[in-house]
Amino acid sequence: MSREAEVITPSEGEVFDVELEVDLLRENQRIANENKNRLHSKGIQAIDVMGSVGSGKTSLIKTMVTRLKKTYRIAVIEGDVTTTIDSDLIASEGVPTVQVNTGKECHLDANLIRKALDIMNLDKLDLIFIENVGNLICPAEFPLGSEKRLVVISVTEGPYMVVKHPMMFLDAQTVAINKIDLAGAMEVDPNKLRADVTRLNPKAITVNTSCRSGAGIDEVVRSLGLKPA
Amino acid sequence: MHEFAIATSLVEALFAIAKKQSSTKVIEVQLKVGKLRALSLDQLRFSYEVLSQGTLLQGSQLIIEETSGSARCPNCNYVQELPETGDFTYHFGLPRMNCPKCETPLILEGGDECLITKVRMVVPSERPEPGVPVGPAGAMDG
Repeated sequence: MSREAEVITPSEGEVFDVELEVDLLRENQRIANENKNRLHSKGIQAIDVMGSVGSGKTSLIKTMVTRLKKTYRIAVIEGDVTTTIDSDLIASEGVPTVQVNTGKECHLDANLIRKALDIMNLDKLDLIFIENVGNLICPAEFPLGSEKRLVVISVTEGPYMVVKHPMMFLDAQTVAINKIDLAGAMEVDPNKLRADVTRLNPKAITVNTSCRSGAGIDEVVRSLGLKPA
Repeated sequence: MHEFAIATSLVEALFAIAKKQSSTKVIEVQLKVGKLRALSLDQLRFSYEVLSQGTLLQGSQLIIEETSGSARCPNCNYVQELPETGDFTYHFGLPRMNCPKCETPLILEGGDECLITKVRMVVPSERPEPGVPVGPAGAMDG
């Protein structure tokens, strides 16, 4: 071939069609699958905890960790834009925690989780909770490699969180309707929220919870396939 | 959401495809985007235009086929197409997810794709055969 072949103008070229199937979301999915296989090979269950801002995800995780840490070797990966507030809270339970700060991204992605797994001692763990950034929209689009999803909403957000964010609830195993002790004050009917979830995802288990009183916590634990202490 | 991030992935993938074919100009790109992706196609097009400026993608046409996906019953194989209503009501009114025949929960299939399906580009008439290095090592790596 001559060097002229590299310097070409469109009128001297031919039009060429390539048919293919390039998945633009493949990179995150590929890493998520890697994470999943890695966790499986170590016998570790990983559970995504997603939910609205301030719904009580961290409190719920902390409450479950308190009850389960004697029977499971637990670690918690905390995701936030910034600060170590959540991981500090969980660390007070004496379990390993990793804080992932996304900087500006509104969700965790599989690559960040892979980096977290790299610095954890996976041989000494049975169970990992991954708390995502408070957000009912974006995290649903970015699988991390967990097997199960717990979505946490609370009565203090009003009655429309489920209908406004359907995608988040489609793949949830368990939905916690948290701060249930405030339902009366908020005039929010948890049965309506439960009905909204069931309409979208009949397989999901909806539980009314209160971290302060402990209501519903064991039921959440059981619904995730874990054994309450 | 994240239209700009997806447009970035799109542009990078197209650069690689064009390089593999020694293309100097991309004319048309066909995408298949599922409605369940909740991608704003307007924003995607805009992001793509912005990122294409000054590259061999500039001026290329983006043709997007929107797919609906369906919901299938794993028990009796009943299939329900997801509704073709406008964006807002589509997401607000997802169908009841139990099989109308046997009440088994339906499984969503498709409707969440985000694929490049075809690229039309100009390639030099005397381009090297694939596999034959053109310049410095790695030029055909794509």
